[in-house]
Amino acid sequence: MKKRLLFQVLLPLVAVLLVFAGCKDDNGDPEAPAGKLVFNFHHTVDGAAVTFDSAGYVNEAGNVYEVNEIQYFISDVTLHRTDGGKVVLDKENDIYYIDTDIPATKRWQVFDAIPEGSYTSITFTFGISEQKNKSFMFVNPPEVNMVWPEFLGGGYHYLKLNGKFEEEIGGTVYLRPFNYHMGIGQIYDPPTTTHPDSIVGFAQNYFEVELPNSGFTIAKDQTVEIDVIMQVEEWFKNPNIWDHHYWGNFTMQNQAAMQAMKENGEHVFIVGEIK
Amino acid sequence: MKKKHWFIWLLLPALFFTVGCKDDNGDPDPVWQATPYDFEIPIGFPTRLNIPDDNPLTVEGVELGRYLFYDGRMSGRTHPDSLMSCASCHRQERAFDLGADHPYYTDPDGRPWGLTGIKTPHATLPLFNLVWNHEGYLWNGMIHKGNTNLGSVAYNIPALPEYHMKNIESLVWMGIAAPHEMHGHPDRTVALFQTITDPDYPKLFERAFGTPEITYERMSKAVAQFIRTIVSSNSTAHKAWRGEANFTDMERMGWMLFMTEEGADCFHCHGGDGSPLMTTHLFYNNAKDTCFTGVCANPRDRYAVTGNERDRGAFKATSLINIEHQGPYMHDGRFATLDDVIQFYNSGLKYSEYAHPLMHKLFPPYYNGMSLNPIQLQQLKAFLLSLTDNELLTNPKYSNPRPDNPFFISW
Repeated sequence: MKKRLLFQVLLPLVAVLLVFAGCKDDNGDPEAPAGKLVFNFHHTVDGAAVTFDSAGYVNEAGNVYEVNEIQYFISDVTLHRTDGGKVVLDKENDIYYIDTDIPATKRWQVFDAIPEGSYTSITFTFGISEQKNKSFMFVNPPEVNMVWPEFLGGGYHYLKLNGKFEEEIGGTVYLRPFNYHMGIGQIYDPPTTTHPDSIVGFAQNYFEVELPNSGFTIAKDQTVEIDVIMQVEEWFKNPNIWDHHYWGNFTMQNQAAMQAMKENGEHVFIVGEIK
Repeated sequence: MKKKHWFIWLLLPALFFTVGCKDDNGDPDPVWQATPYDFEIPIGFPTRLNIPDDNPLTVEGVELGRYLFYDGRMSGRTHPDSLMSCASCHRQERAFDLGADHPYYTDPDGRPWGLTGIKTPHATLPLFNLVWNHEGYLWNGMIHKGNTNLGSVAYNIPALPEYHMKNIESLVWMGIAAPHEMHGHPDRTVALFQTITDPDYPKLFERAFGTPEITYERMSKAVAQFIRTIVSSNSTAHKAWRGEANFTDMERMGWMLFMTEEGADCFHCHGGDGSPLMTTHLFYNNAKDTCFTGVCANPRDRYAVTGNERDRGAFKATSLINIEHQGPYMHDGRFATLDDVIQFYNSGLKYSEYAHPLMHKLFPPYYNGMSLNPIQLQQLKAFLLSLTDNELLTNPKYSNPRPDNPFFISW
């Protein structure tokens, strides 16, 4: 009788339990009180949303320019708690891609559950850290289109900011392209050359951004939306005044240019509305 | 006897596991089941495939599609002079493109004409690696998932669901009906195929779709399945990137030029070792012309799809794999040879406000192009030639399945 009980009741029961256990999603501790976070990415020039493909912006150097497209990575977004603790957003996207031509990328619904409580600030890496910026880690578009040549250090562009600026030649004003691109820089020997076979070292140009006024409080089951704003004019302004006529059409093999971009980039991002 | 009992109880949990985790969509087990096609993704290639949910790849569907791809009766006609297959303009030996040396359809101006002598408004595009295209088909990307249009009044095609404009399947009815291609009608083609006894199409359709019924929808799905299996990933360059071959010195130097802004800077639009499709599948105005509005407006450029001014004169960046076989070049076939194309990018760019910003060598210190010296031009060409995948050009699984049958044609 006991054996019959074992075979006909207990074992099927175990089997059913195994079925439920096997099909269950494993998403961490579901009991910890947590909310959700959404980042909305905006791009402005002089306080107003960028009007793409339309010349008329004037930078600090007096260049009249237009913006055609902006594509970039941010990574290792970290929320800093009032008690000194940190929450790194890495459950699904430790590297996040934003593309002004792809509206869906401008709204990041963070997968991570955000423990309830107060946070003093948000930081992130602009670009991708040396540890993580490995070639061939992205195989699908659009991220794969950010590839940075192996010869020049490999990995991926941190930023592509493509546009045009006005240049007068012989009394005629032309729209001259600029490709303001950032990634791993190269050290050449002799420094007057840019041939890949003359590269003797590389320079990491990613940098940390601390978003000013980015503190927020999140409650259990609450969704907090944070507007992150790229102020495009800051790329050309502070502390280095960027003259397109001086720096020319492209930057990938010009570490001096990328160093200036890196320094300017630290002032580019601000926070808008938190709701 | 008791031991047998034990086995049953031991198997039960596993059975429960399987049943318990299965998606339950309420459908009864199908009587007919095609064989799933084992699509192998080459190393480094994208893992995200453009395969519609309602047309998964099957061995039988791909086989049928291969037959249809080469069958000249797709034109809806049987006279030897009136046959035209997909392969008539998409030849395997030319990377499923027309080829500048086409024996019949190429005109000196680079644009082929269709079966009834009407010239196409554009050059042909190659049919390989299309399973990785998510940005729309044709030169302007008009065929894409978001396109809700059906049929074509101009082609006398009714607005029925099977005549959609979303994917490779759509290209089948367009190819049959377009006056500058087969100049036929899907109804006529279907009616003809319902009478064919060699090959045994009812049997092929039954194997692919469960019943012998021949319909346009099934024909388009089968052809699309076959096209999605055409993969090109074994050029010398791809093998070198995988460590299976070596570049020559010339090819390696050309590769450097290809991948650097100070060199030729081709990679921003055409990919490279980290982006081995050798295209972004995106659309660029590559500075071929100076006028794009008014009488110069091209009704088939990217602007015609997006309505965005910046897209005037923009066309798809084609894959550079097998580029030596893809002539005539550019959307209008204006360049007959690869040398012509290289010379254009070296010194023939034309300024306009519509040129894509990646065409940054329009201005000093460069002058209308890459400004490479003659040795660098040879190096760049050597690299481009290393992108030829000879295995694609001769792979039997993509070839004419019935060369013994006079209706099966490949030009």
